[in-house]
Amino acid sequence: MLFHFICLAAYACAFWLYLHPKVAGITGPWSRIAFVLASAMVLGWISGIDVGVNFHNHSHRPIFTSPFVNRWFGRIWTFSGGWPSFFWEYCHVTIHHANLLSAEDWTLPKHSADGKFENFQRYLFTHWPWRLSRHLWKDFTTRQSLRRRSFDELAIFLALWSIPFWIDPVMAVFLWALPHWIANAFVMNSGMYVQHAGCVPKTPAKPVSHSTVFVSNFFNLTMFNIGFHSEHHDHPRVHWSELPELHQRLKQELIDGQAHVVPFGNYHAAFLLAGDETRQKGFAQQDSRYKGGR
Amino acid sequence: MERLARVLSSRTALIFGRSFFPLSAIVIILGAALWGPWVSLGVTVVAIAVALRSL
Repeated sequence: MLFHFICLAAYACAFWLYLHPKVAGITGPWSRIAFVLASAMVLGWISGIDVGVNFHNHSHRPIFTSPFVNRWFGRIWTFSGGWPSFFWEYCHVTIHHANLLSAEDWTLPKHSADGKFENFQRYLFTHWPWRLSRHLWKDFTTRQSLRRRSFDELAIFLALWSIPFWIDPVMAVFLWALPHWIANAFVMNSGMYVQHAGCVPKTPAKPVSHSTVFVSNFFNLTMFNIGFHSEHHDHPRVHWSELPELHQRLKQELIDGQAHVVPFGNYHAAFLLAGDETRQKGFAQQDSRYKGGR
Repeated sequence: MERLARVLSSRTALIFGRSFFPLSAIVIILGAALWGPWVSLGVTVVAIAVALRSL
């Protein structure tokens, strides 16, 4: 919760400085571009974490006991990441977790039967909001039980999301919509890509090859332990703070099952997978502490 | 007493650690008022480069 409110405070600071250019040292169009670029990039970065990691945990284990409070807190949580909370939960829990790496999991990059994903950049630039909108439209309009709810949620989202446009439309484009695009394309989409690139659906023969595990301590400290991704998919109801302990308990199973474990986090993985074949091979490297089963 | 202080300080450090990215974002955005928008842009680009290389 604190994380989300700090994110909202960051947006408020950026808006205020944009509207008071002299305070921010903005003296002309170029310095304004510099301010907007710096702000949009960091706002996009933290919004991607706020929705893709932080709200993500709430979607598996709601914070409050009251469904009403959870629903409304979700709504004021994901609008600052460019999502209606119901849509995000539907994509993540109903589609991604329930159909991981199968043909029905349209939240992931398109992939062949052996697990080879489509081009990294193509997925980043075509998935949110284009492909997602098409899939959501299809799912929500064909299922009557979802139609009314999704319409209501979209209306609430648009009411909240439009607030910065009422203050200053140009500011809203560059310090609100642009960060949301950065959050989705570069933080959330790249996260989805690296977490399951080269992976195969769970089978008795390959029980832990559905996700990559990222064991960088700093990454997991600052990213709510999202690096323990195989553990998360197998035990989605386990609280994020308990994932390191679960990881230690399952460590031998990961080694025996030849799970893909890397010593870095999502960001470096994205850097490797965005590169040529030589750089991509760096992603396939195994953390030396997890080589026992090979 | 000493144990309580240790628990409190580790909890506080953990909260700041977990809020590292949004707190850094606020420093970069508000920092523009102190050192100007070009320095904020430079710090952002360096931070992204470091994250892609090592995180």
